[in-house]
Amino acid sequence: MNVASKTPTAQVPVHSEAAWYEPDMPAIIAPRRPTPIRSLFAVLLILFVGSLLGIASAYLMIERDRPFLSVTIGPWSAYPEAGTSEADPYSVAIYTRSARIPLASGEGLAISARTDSSGTTLDPACDYRISGQTPTARLWTLTAAGDHGRLLPTLAGRTFLTSRQILRKEDGSFEITASRAPRSGNWLPIGLPLTGETGAGDITAPGGIGSGLMFTFRLYDAPITTGSALDGAVMPVIERLSCL
Amino acid sequence: MSLSPRLAWLTGLVATLSLAAVVHILVVLTIPQNTSHSAYADVANFGPDRQFNLLPDVKPGAEPLPALDPAMKHAACRFTLDDGPVLFTASIPVPFWSIGLFNEAGEAVYSLNNRTSGSDILSMLLLTPEQLSIIRENPPEDLDELIVLEIPATNGFALLRAFVPHSHQSKEVDTALSTAYCGSLS
Repeated sequence: MNVASKTPTAQVPVHSEAAWYEPDMPAIIAPRRPTPIRSLFAVLLILFVGSLLGIASAYLMIERDRPFLSVTIGPWSAYPEAGTSEADPYSVAIYTRSARIPLASGEGLAISARTDSSGTTLDPACDYRISGQTPTARLWTLTAAGDHGRLLPTLAGRTFLTSRQILRKEDGSFEITASRAPRSGNWLPIGLPLTGETGAGDITAPGGIGSGLMFTFRLYDAPITTGSALDGAVMPVIERLSCL
Repeated sequence: MSLSPRLAWLTGLVATLSLAAVVHILVVLTIPQNTSHSAYADVANFGPDRQFNLLPDVKPGAEPLPALDPAMKHAACRFTLDDGPVLFTASIPVPFWSIGLFNEAGEAVYSLNNRTSGSDILSMLLLTPEQLSIIRENPPEDLDELIVLEIPATNGFALLRAFVPHSHQSKEVDTALSTAYCGSLS
């Protein structure tokens, strides 16, 4: 009979653990069984995913290399506040991380474009026509560089054009052709891909620090160094001509 | 007390997003304190403090500092006002030059170019408010010819930019930049 006493009696088992459950209660307020392991995992998951999202979004914002408070004129954008005490936290982070020294307001203003006038991202393999006029400045220089501002070797050996070198039309406007291959007239050389380079790897490969294309006008001694004065300013149009 | 599954998911999502926002803000705000190198530190690589050091030409693959204009030549002088007021003098025979003063965080404090300086010769005295009151008691003779500038920061650097109109003037500009003076008022 020892064996029989250990087997449960043939009646509906009363689970003391389930005694708290009152089936009459509406589901929304019915108390639930505590699940400590599951809750712990949920909290850990929230901590992990939350931190990951926070770090990743901050990294993307900083790596994008585009401060917030920009003034845009067509495809051109300038950050007059970056590198001053009025800068927003993103541009402070971007500028200090890259250790770059901005053009101060009494010196001039840098205006960059990463897309053409139709909004397509600039491609160093293409030819572009930059035509029109710049805001008034005593001197300007135009530079073709990688997406992150890195200069690349060109066929001509120079990487820039200045307002003193270019040929202008009678009305003072100009037309510049940006291309890897030499062009007649105002030619702005675009950096060549560094294929076959040994050692450090090809920085011009997609995603590399020298990839992409960015045009930068630096207007020196220009009246428009403050943001509000940039309203209504005219910048040249960038048109894509042909691609390799 | 526990939540219904739907409410639990919502709470989890809100908690995750709030945490993400807090972490995002913390990361962005702490980057300036945690950068391995700053513009102020990088400028020290070109030579001793309290003198203008000519930076190498801005060439592809050999940019002395990021985002400098390749059409310009640059000279930098790092200083700390704890060592006394800093005098800047330069005479650069080019159509355009400019000087920017930056604090330790790399923020522009003051800047001028050869038109706004009033003359083609740069002469600027940089000091703290205390040093200014000392100098006022016994002013040097040429004080009224100087641009006198009080800045609250003590550490900083100056970057002198000079436009090179033609490559054959490159030597001349180099000489002018390396003879530019940045140092104590004597």
